[in-house]
This record gives sequence, C-alpha cells and structure tokens, in this order.
Amino acid sequence: MNFSDIDPTAFRLSLQVATTATLLCLVVGLPVTWWIWRSRPAWSRILSTLVLLPLVLPPTSIGYYLLFALGRQSAVGRFLIDDLGIRVVFTWPGAAIAAAVVSLPLFVRTAQGGFEQVEPDIVDVARTLGRRPTVILARVVIPLAWPSLLAATLLSFARAFGEFGATVIVAGNIPGETQTVPVAIYDAVQAGNDELANAIAFITLIFGFVVLAVTAVVLQRVR
Amino acid sequence: MLSCDIRVDFGDETLRPSFTTGLGITVLFGPSGAGKSVTLKALAGLIRPSSGRIEFDESIFYDSTASTWVPPGGRQVGYVPQSLGIFPNMTVRENIAFGATGGRQDRDERVRRLVGLMGLAGLETRKPPTLSGGQQQRVALARALARDARLLLLDEPFSALDEGLRQEMRHELLRLRDELSLTIVFVTHDLREAHLLADRMAVIDAGEIRQFDAREEVFRRPINRRVADLTGIANIFSGVVTAVREGEVDVRVDGIELRCGSCGGNSFSAGQAVDVAIRAERVNLRRRSPEELAGTNAFEATIVRELPYGSTHSLQFQPIAAGPSLHVELAARPYDVLDVAHRRRWTVELPIADLHVMERRTAQGD
Repeated sequence: MNFSDIDPTAFRLSLQVATTATLLCLVVGLPVTWWIWRSRPAWSRILSTLVLLPLVLPPTSIGYYLLFALGRQSAVGRFLIDDLGIRVVFTWPGAAIAAAVVSLPLFVRTAQGGFEQVEPDIVDVARTLGRRPTVILARVVIPLAWPSLLAATLLSFARAFGEFGATVIVAGNIPGETQTVPVAIYDAVQAGNDELANAIAFITLIFGFVVLAVTAVVLQRVR
Repeated sequence: MLSCDIRVDFGDETLRPSFTTGLGITVLFGPSGAGKSVTLKALAGLIRPSSGRIEFDESIFYDSTASTWVPPGGRQVGYVPQSLGIFPNMTVRENIAFGATGGRQDRDERVRRLVGLMGLAGLETRKPPTLSGGQQQRVALARALARDARLLLLDEPFSALDEGLRQEMRHELLRLRDELSLTIVFVTHDLREAHLLADRMAVIDAGEIRQFDAREEVFRRPINRRVADLTGIANIFSGVVTAVREGEVDVRVDGIELRCGSCGGNSFSAGQAVDVAIRAERVNLRRRSPEELAGTNAFEATIVRELPYGSTHSLQFQPIAAGPSLHVELAARPYDVLDVAHRRRWTVELPIADLHVMERRTAQGD
C-alpha cells in the first residue's frame, strides 16, 4: 500500500467538516431533543418524524434540497448571499451543513434515549423550583444523560466524517477546498487509481475502529 | 387559603376536583387511579387543567375565564413526588440550594437553616445515592421549603420507606406543620397515614371529591356507602327507616330494629331506603343476654372466623337469629380479658351513637 500519494488536505477538511457538523448537531440537536421529550405526544411525533426524515431519504436527495435551499433559487439563499455576503454552496461550510443534516437523526435518537432515562419526577421537581428550562437542561438533564449524549456526539462525528452523497452535491469535489476523504476515495476509484483508493480506505478503516473503541471504553468507564 | 375547582381531561378520563382548604394538613385520600396525583400536579402547575380556577392566598395560579396561567416555577410551591425526584448528580447542599433565590449569602444562610431544621448537618457534601431513605426524604422536604414555599404538595412521599422510618417522617411532618405556617396537601392511599396526618380530609374517587371535611367527620360520618367503604368501615348494612325521632332514626336491618344516633345532619323519613355503617372497632362484646340489654341494639351472634393481627384480632360474627353479619376489631388486651379465644357465642352491641345512617343514592352506584 502506498501512502505517499495521499493528499493530507482531504483528511484535514474531513476533520474540519465533521467537527463543525458535530457542533451544529449539538447546538441544534440538544434543544430539539428536549422539545421532542417535553412536548405533548402529538407535537413530539410530528417533530420526531421531521428530524428522522434524513435517515430514510437518500443522502443525494438531501443534498439536492440543500443545494436549492442554500443557493440563489431560494429566499434564504438569496438573503445569505446578497444581504450577508455568505456563500455556502461549493464551500466546506456547505459540506459541514450537509453532514450535520444527515447526522442529526443519529444524534437526536441517541440523545433521546439518554433523556428518557432521566426520571420525569426529577424534571417536574426542577420545574417547580423556578429555574429556567436552559438551567434545568444544563444542570440536571445533561449531567444525568451525559453517557448517551457522549455516544450521540461520537456517532454524529463518525457519520459526518463518512458523509458523501449530500456533501458532494452541496460542496462539490474541489481538491484542497471541498474534497473530503469519502469524495477523495470516489475520485481515486473513478480515476482508476486503486492503490490510492485502497490506502485512503484503509486509513478510514483504522479511524472508524479507533472511534468505536474510544466510545466503548468511555461509555464503560462512565457506567 | 387554597381553593381548587378545576376540570382536568387526562387521557380518556375527566377529573373534577373541587375543594377549599387552609393552614394545616389536607389529605387527599383515595384508591389508586382516583386522580389524587393528577390533582396535586395540577396544583403544582405540572399539568394544565381544561378549565376552572386555582387560587392560593392572594395569588391566582390558574383561571380559565381570565386566561390566567402561572407556570410551576412562578407558584412558589414546594412539591415532593412519590419518587422524591432528588438530583443524584448534586450534593445535599446543591440539591437544597437549587431552588433557593436571592444573593449567594442569602442562599447559603437559607440552606444552613434548612439543613439544621431537617437534621441534615454533616451530610451537606454527600451525594444522595449514599444517603439512607429517611435522609433522602429530609433532603426532598428541605429542597421543597428552600423557596419559602407556603404551600407544600406531597405525593405519597413516605411510601417507599419501611414502617419505622415512615412513622418517624410522619412525626417530622407534623412538627413542620406546627413550626412553620404551612398549607400542606398530602396525597396518600394509606388509611392509617391519612388518619394520623389529616387536619382535613378529601376523599377522592373516580376523579371527584366525594367528601371533604374535618378528619373525624369523614371517619365517623361518611356521606355515603362508597366513602364509608373507602375509609375502611367494615360494617355497612342496607335497611329501611321505620321511625324518626329527635336526633335518632330506627332502621330495620336483616330482621331487627337498630336505633341509630348519627344522622350526619340529614333528615330522614319513614320508609326511606338507607345505608347504616359502624366501624369494626366500635362494636361491643357483652356477656349479658340481649333481653337484659333491651333498647341498646344488642343481638346474639357467634364467631365464624378469626384473624389474629398481633395487636388486634379481627372477628367475623354470624347472627344466631335475626341481625346482620358483623366484623369486629378487638384489641389484644380486651380479647384476653374477655377470654374470647374460649367463648364463641356473644351478645354483640352496636352503640347507638356510633351507628351512622347515610342516604342511599342508587344513581351514583353507591
């Protein structure tokens, strides 16, 4: 296996995209999970279905809708580009947004499992003690659900790192700018460079193994 | 003054608790699933009623006509659920301080005072999982009081304790009631607990308050068969009024006339179908014959079943001729003195003052 032809930028970009996507999952996912958990059953079901949708859609469909939503064709896209001067399509932040949308269902599902293990009476008492929901979330729920939240974070990171379909449509395949590891593998295979594809894929295999092993060890220590 | 008159639609069921109470302990008593906990949660603001009004002193917590709704955190009530809801990730001090308001010094002072009041000194830095059941109860009570709550809502808080500790915590609660000026609503399905703690008692069944009154009134003068049954009256007979006198009613039950001296403020008329109740511990066993005790509701009966509970004996009597079957509860001492173990045939006397007559309402299924 020849590792010398590998462009380390793809790995740097993938880590950048996966880290940003994971942060987005945390920022959006925690309140969404809280909302699903605390809402009336009807609202909870609707929200849950919306959040889980990316899990059953082909990532390319998600990419297609994001391309539309973030591009000039939509009002949001026009606002971002014309008023704020932020271009997302064909940039690495675009790839991070796509990866976050695809990873969000995994985050929410896993985090929800953790929230559900927190006894409802504990939250009820906290509510009667006059503290804001954000304080209850930060001081009561997260400390009690954190093993599941850690698992959710690591799973989202791994999913975002490996994301291909949505990111390639939103961010394209620009070496050094938007070409992440999965796209680099696809590129190598398309170019008939099996040795390069093999080398990159091998590194991802090691990476995946390490992430899962770390998750297992951390969770075991916590429990 | 706490006033609650609400309708709560909960799943397929509708609850309509309605009562007004004041300082001291008000026990919400009833069987499992009667709606006690839901009522308490509505008072705490954890469940939003469909309509009605909840008012405590000068504060209106909920009023559907004025669209008033105070969320749980704004009600300044102390709430302790059955599982206590202790924060296991925080120390005793942090648990108590979680709800305390004011500056750091105020909070520290308040926590110190509550630690002293609840006998938790020395345990401030311990985490709840390392505490005993009784200590956890005290932490939950201290935390509920940390916001200077004047209304305390307790949902079977002692049910997970063993009998000794439970007794200790009940006395602790009575002490708190006397030391602090508190309105306490206490949910229980334990009759002994209700009797010990209640200043006033609401008997709740199928989502409605069947009777709300001072404890002794509820225990001695239930308003109907269902309440009598729920409050543990073992002897309830169906009968027909035969004569009405000043403060007394004669009722024909199973072939004999019973003089009943407790009418609960109701007026009855001859021929009316009624229920008559007497608590098992109120029945007397006499050695003399019914003829010698004429005019005192005495008839001959024989013991057909006996259950020794240690401190008391539960005896079931079958009449020799006319009269109803009876459950009699006898303390161990009189049981031995009367030598009940060796004598099966007795004259049972139902004291006139203890025979309580209730209206019979078939429409309620009572």
